[in-house]
Amino acid sequence: MGQSPNPDWLNQWQGLSRNMLNAWQDMARQAGVVAPPQAPTSPWHEGFEQWARLFASGGGAQSETIERIIDSAKGYAAFMQSALAAAANSGVAAPNWGEAFRSGFGIPGAEAMPFGGDLLRMLRELPGQGGGYAAIMNALGNLRPPANADLGELKSWLNLPAFGLLREHQEHYQKMAVAWVEYQEQMARYNALMLKAGQRGYELFEGKLTEREQPGRQIDSLRALYDLWVDAAEEGYAEVALSTEFREVYGALVNAQMSVRAQVQQEVERVAVDLGMPTRTELNNIGERLQALRRELRAQGGGDLAREVARLRSEVAALKAASKRGETAKPAAEKAEPPVQPAARPAHKKRAKARPAREAEPKKAARRAVAAVAPSSFSSRIAKFADASLGRGKKSAKAAKSKKKR
Amino acid sequence: MFPIKIEPTKAIDEVLTTQRKLAVALQTLREVDDVDFGVTAKEAIHREDKLVVYRFKGPHEPTAKVPILIVYALVNRPYMVDLQDDRSLVKNLLAQGEDVYLIDWGYPDLADRWLTLDDYINGYIDRSVDAVAQHAGVDKINLLGICQGGAFSLCYASTHADKIKNLITMVTPVDFHTPENMLSNWTRQLDVDLFVDTLGNVPADLMNLCYLMLKPVRLNQQKYIGLVDILDDKVEMENFLRMEKWIFDSPDQAGEAFRQFIKDFYQGNKLVKGGLKIGEREVHLGNVTMPVLNVFAEQDHLVPPSASRVLADHVGTDDYTQIAFRGGHIGIYVSGRAQREVPAAIHDWLAKRSR
Repeated sequence: MGQSPNPDWLNQWQGLSRNMLNAWQDMARQAGVVAPPQAPTSPWHEGFEQWARLFASGGGAQSETIERIIDSAKGYAAFMQSALAAAANSGVAAPNWGEAFRSGFGIPGAEAMPFGGDLLRMLRELPGQGGGYAAIMNALGNLRPPANADLGELKSWLNLPAFGLLREHQEHYQKMAVAWVEYQEQMARYNALMLKAGQRGYELFEGKLTEREQPGRQIDSLRALYDLWVDAAEEGYAEVALSTEFREVYGALVNAQMSVRAQVQQEVERVAVDLGMPTRTELNNIGERLQALRRELRAQGGGDLAREVARLRSEVAALKAASKRGETAKPAAEKAEPPVQPAARPAHKKRAKARPAREAEPKKAARRAVAAVAPSSFSSRIAKFADASLGRGKKSAKAAKSKKKR
Repeated sequence: MFPIKIEPTKAIDEVLTTQRKLAVALQTLREVDDVDFGVTAKEAIHREDKLVVYRFKGPHEPTAKVPILIVYALVNRPYMVDLQDDRSLVKNLLAQGEDVYLIDWGYPDLADRWLTLDDYINGYIDRSVDAVAQHAGVDKINLLGICQGGAFSLCYASTHADKIKNLITMVTPVDFHTPENMLSNWTRQLDVDLFVDTLGNVPADLMNLCYLMLKPVRLNQQKYIGLVDILDDKVEMENFLRMEKWIFDSPDQAGEAFRQFIKDFYQGNKLVKGGLKIGEREVHLGNVTMPVLNVFAEQDHLVPPSASRVLADHVGTDDYTQIAFRGGHIGIYVSGRAQREVPAAIHDWLAKRSR
């Protein structure tokens, strides 16, 4: 600051904090909200918590927004606290703003990246089959190798060969543990880059502050100072997040996490099979086959089948015309280019309209022709699909077919 | 001179003001109702699986003879184009006399896990186009693709050019490998096979987390600090909550379509490099021969302008127009300037070409 800072700032700030907290506590008491028994470590943070508690009983669509406001307000309060404390502690000298904000250059949201907490919780809560499995999952969920741990050494132990009756199980648990250690390795690399982004943001913030030294460009409010800090933090982050190094680290982190998830899923499936429950893999297989079948049916509906129906229609029309003339008909079907029917068009109405009312022979011929087409398209495919899904082979499909013929 | 000149009394005033607004917010937030959205009346004209095609109803019959079908992205809900009465691209297009239809993709679940881009583009979009054309009694329609829906629309227009009279793309990525594209940078070394095989459908929360991490400090913190300024304004709070709902009301992504989109678009950049196949159809932007209007946002952090503006170099049409809008990826639908400029620009451009 250009002029001497007020030496009583710290006292004023602390007094203001206490007043604010008292006011919130009064309001909370009036609203019947019980405050926690322990003394707050930061009056400002506690003030926001009080504010949040006032909404806690209400619920509703706004609750998530409230939580976000609270989280952000705490960050902002910490920022203001740093700023005012820097000014208060500086006496008559210029405050050391840079130092005050150095610790504040974390990246909000980075700790959740990419939902590592979710994975950790999943590992801890996953029900296991037998004590060995549960113990391993619990150990994995709690496994946080120290920063300087030799993970290579740990991985080499986990890669030792397994023997005996349960060797397959043991080998799988070892693979899972290796995947988890590799995930931790990648997480450490990612966190290092986030730290680098914070440091870069800090450097940029110093530069931006220097730019504001000219008269008329000085920052005159806490909010403007905060906004400048945000600009610097975002720029620092963007430099890192757009780098080739980040691309590699981020990709490796997500891939490592997916490997852990995949290993856990395999274990869950093994348990499901033992309990006689359907697995995700089985459901996926059925879903994939069903989608393939729908695709085929649609393709036929818009392609072969539509052409076939069009051919039959023109055949019926030709027969009708011939019967009126008392001649034998020459189907005009082959000559005509079949009209393409969009799926949305209510084609059945048009067909109903075009159907001749009293001419039995052409109707019969058309029915025969449709019957000759249908088994090879709809019914046989659906039967095949059903057989495949139920695990029946060609034999039973044939049996079903011959039964139908009889 | 020292860069910071904050008067102690002013600093304390700021803090007190924040506290006062928080106190008032207690009342305001309790008065705010659950927000609604999608204000314009509409009727469903086509349904298929979870997809619904709507036709919007304006106060007057449309004067335009060729309807517009809006193809929105799969990654967010399409009501962004009709968010509220004074922020509605749809309403403003109707006011200009346009006949507006929209594809609502619904919320995919595990039954949709195996939907491919072929199913979406040559299946759902194609049948929706047919349904709109039939409903409107025309042979060709205008297609308006937004963001990922714009990329889909380009693929569709290049392979079904006979059904599209005019193509409009809004905030549409075309070149996925421009240096400012953060999302692209993050996906390039992703093992997308392992990713989709493990997750099945891609959870919406994961997608949202990625979007927030594009600008983590602004979107996770500063936005909510700014919210304190409007905490005592019920209307502004409702606007904020409506937007907040839209941001986090995201569908999961059908696994197979996601796999192909990441591989072919984000990693392979095949829309501009070539070699893109959707089902059995090869996509060549050179086959986009109908008139094209490309609208992009200059401050777009999701689809950088550089990713969009290159469309000019790749489409086969002689009638290409582009509009650079001053604003961001979302502002292009909801900002005050967007309400005035974007629908009018689209209408004027179409009016010259839809006769």
